[in-house]
Amino acid sequence: MPRPAENKQQSGRMRLFFRKLYQQRALAVMSVPFLIWLIIFKYLPLWGWSIAFQDYKPAKKFMEQTWIGFEHFKFLFGDDRFLRVLRNTLAMSSINLFFGFVTAITLALLLNEVRNIAFKRVVQTVSYLPHFISWVVAASIIQTTLSPDGTINQLLVGLGFIDRGNEILFLGIPEYFWTIFGASSVWKDIGWNTIVYLAAMTTIDPTQYEAAEIDGANRFKKMIYVTLPGIKSVVIVLLIMNIGYLLESGFEPQYLLGNGMNVDYSENIDIFVLKYGIAQSNFSLSIAAGMFKTVVSFILLFLANNAAKRMGEARLY
Amino acid sequence: MRKTKRFWLLSLTAILSLSMITACSGTNNKAKETTGKTEPSSSAAATATAEAKQDKVTFKIFNGVAGSKDGNTNQTTIGKILEDQTGVNFKLEFVVGDLNTKIGTMIAANDYPDVLIPDAAIEEVLNAGAFIPLDDLIEEHGPNIKRVYGKSLNQMRSKDGKIYFLPIAAQVNDFIPEPEAGAGFWVQRRVLEEAGYPKIKTLDQYIELIKNYRDKHKDENLTGMVSLTHDWRFFATSNPPMHLMGYPNDGNVTVDTNTWEAKTYAGADSTKRWLKALNDLNAAGLFDKASFVDNYDQYIAKLTSHKVLGFFDYRWQVDNALNVLKDAARKDPSLDGYNYFPLPVTFDEGTPDAYLDPPGGLVTNRGIGITVSAKDPVRIIQFFDNMLTEENQTLMSWGIKGETYEVNEEGRYYRTQEQIDKIDEPFRESFGFKYFSWNWPMYNATSTLADGNAKNVASQPEVFQMTLTDKDKFILDKYGVQTYSQLFAEPVPRPYFPAWGFTKEQNSPEQLWEASKDELTKKYFPKLVLTTPDKFDSVWEEYMKEFGKLDTAGYEKWTTEQVKAKVELANQ
Repeated sequence: MPRPAENKQQSGRMRLFFRKLYQQRALAVMSVPFLIWLIIFKYLPLWGWSIAFQDYKPAKKFMEQTWIGFEHFKFLFGDDRFLRVLRNTLAMSSINLFFGFVTAITLALLLNEVRNIAFKRVVQTVSYLPHFISWVVAASIIQTTLSPDGTINQLLVGLGFIDRGNEILFLGIPEYFWTIFGASSVWKDIGWNTIVYLAAMTTIDPTQYEAAEIDGANRFKKMIYVTLPGIKSVVIVLLIMNIGYLLESGFEPQYLLGNGMNVDYSENIDIFVLKYGIAQSNFSLSIAAGMFKTVVSFILLFLANNAAKRMGEARLY
Repeated sequence: MRKTKRFWLLSLTAILSLSMITACSGTNNKAKETTGKTEPSSSAAATATAEAKQDKVTFKIFNGVAGSKDGNTNQTTIGKILEDQTGVNFKLEFVVGDLNTKIGTMIAANDYPDVLIPDAAIEEVLNAGAFIPLDDLIEEHGPNIKRVYGKSLNQMRSKDGKIYFLPIAAQVNDFIPEPEAGAGFWVQRRVLEEAGYPKIKTLDQYIELIKNYRDKHKDENLTGMVSLTHDWRFFATSNPPMHLMGYPNDGNVTVDTNTWEAKTYAGADSTKRWLKALNDLNAAGLFDKASFVDNYDQYIAKLTSHKVLGFFDYRWQVDNALNVLKDAARKDPSLDGYNYFPLPVTFDEGTPDAYLDPPGGLVTNRGIGITVSAKDPVRIIQFFDNMLTEENQTLMSWGIKGETYEVNEEGRYYRTQEQIDKIDEPFRESFGFKYFSWNWPMYNATSTLADGNAKNVASQPEVFQMTLTDKDKFILDKYGVQTYSQLFAEPVPRPYFPAWGFTKEQNSPEQLWEASKDELTKKYFPKLVLTTPDKFDSVWEEYMKEFGKLDTAGYEKWTTEQVKAKVELANQ
């Protein structure tokens, strides 16, 4: 008869919970405003999801709206444009995720090895400056650089790779778009993303390096066997969080760099929603697409976190 | 004990502060409701004492077109005069950011400014029932509104037969075309000069002209033609076939004035012919490929770079670039060759062009309306009516006699050089020309005043002549004309015009057709222009296959119905 014991254990746990709650009552009270904020701004708006199942007309009352069930979802998944857009979104955010991580960690590792403080500061400043330029300006810079009379084409002509008059219209070739997008994102955010890893590296106990040195590790080996494991937990938590954003490949760069010619590769879910939802005043469709995004993001986040848990790594919850 | 007390105190404070927040918002709402309720009686009082000096009131206007700084109309000279006449002042707010978001917020909250100029979002505002019907107000307080909009009142009616807003401007008295064409094929003046100022009538001649110049100046790294394609401005590249066939700007269709049939041209031979011409230009290295990736700012920068020989566009889109070039040439006449000159180009020699907007109907998908939140609609409509008197229309465009304009013995209005120099941007702002130039109920720019003077200052030939430089006069003289628009064919009246101004319902098949067509053309036009000439036909086939999937017949049928309805109303 294990029941009574279990019951006892449970009530004991409850008592423990309340005692702890009482002991930390100041903390609990302090968190109340944030809970209220969370409910008002994060949970109440979920009510708006009902719009996805209606033929929503603004200004009409809730009860006056026509309910049409899953029509908008059917339209979304039946439309081959949406599938193309989904592909682009996933492709671009994967590119972003992978290169974002690899380049930022590499740069952080390299910077960590730099002994000349002045040089290190200059590199850091220069690399994170683009983060503060708005995408509108950044897109203009990229467009100008890639235009037929831009720097890159001039360089290619100068080096003899292409002839004058045959300049490449980089943004006009659909297949190039993902690469351009990935490179621009890396350029813009590499310095910024590095900061958190550099911060994590400062927490590594210097004695570990000393010990490794005594054991005969060179710089490269210290990097692999001390620094990298030292920031592993940070990397994994960030990775999990970013996987949750996999369907958020961003809006501005695609919108600003996209044009009629590369639309097959540049249009992502957000732009699709803008074009066929908001611009056409079809708010229900936008909500339906948004819902789809949230649900998929949630599943991805959950899976990634679970995987980390299984592997016994640091995780989100 | 003390500790528990503190705990309860803490939670009490939290609860109290929360209830205060909710309580505050509660009272706010109540206050609004009560004022809302008392207003009708106060407005009744206001009208009762209308004869006597009226109290000063301030109404709020939201303008969906970004333009000026926010402010009160009575802080300007014109606004002050209007306030003295009516006791009404307007606080103007202009859109910042996204129009639809702003209007959407208003609709969701059911809280509007007194007067609303929703621009492109007008259909949503109407659907939300945000405008009050104006019929009775106009009947009672609007003798001038009836005079100005009288002919078109029927065109302004909504489906339920009521008038909900006043369109932005109406044609009054005689029609005088603007002295400068609204669109055209532009070419650098040095190109014309070198060719000896030939008469250019057809697209082939135009291209020949550019080609010859470029061939003679091979080492200058010149661009033959550029085209604007960025985002919604893509029409600058897709509209030319319509103009080349000799039709005015009706947007997506051309309208036959005999049968009033509307036909789309995006998949027609005319479009094929235009794109083929661009394709040949590109093959000859005369077309700027970057046209299809550049944004608007880059396009404007290219036009001011002196390197571009020609382009097609509407004047209002390239005004900035043209003004920069003009100012530079005024300071240094040797730069005059980089100014652009508009040419009336069509496909065939015999086709008369239609680049000047014809006298037509009313743009009925833009306008100004009084909202359900308005405190005192009567005072507002009285203000609008007062604005539309001859004197005030003169005041709004010409200003004050002796200060911003003069009158000669024959009664013609003109400005002295001194006055022209004085009226710069800051002056336009402080005087009120800027606030009162657009989006109010007014005579449109091609109207005349009752005494025969042009309503629009720039359209008055006397004023226009003064703005010309010696070089301008020289080149106009070469073509034997006094104004640029005299080079173009006289516009033929079209009572429905313009077809792009027809109101389309949100999420309707018409709107969907336009969106899909835009997407298709944006994708295929660049391909068609940039492909090698031998593949042009096969890409065109591919485009036609996609284009065939659209319900073009339905769109044409809908537009034709709209045209015919407008024509019928105009003939009543």
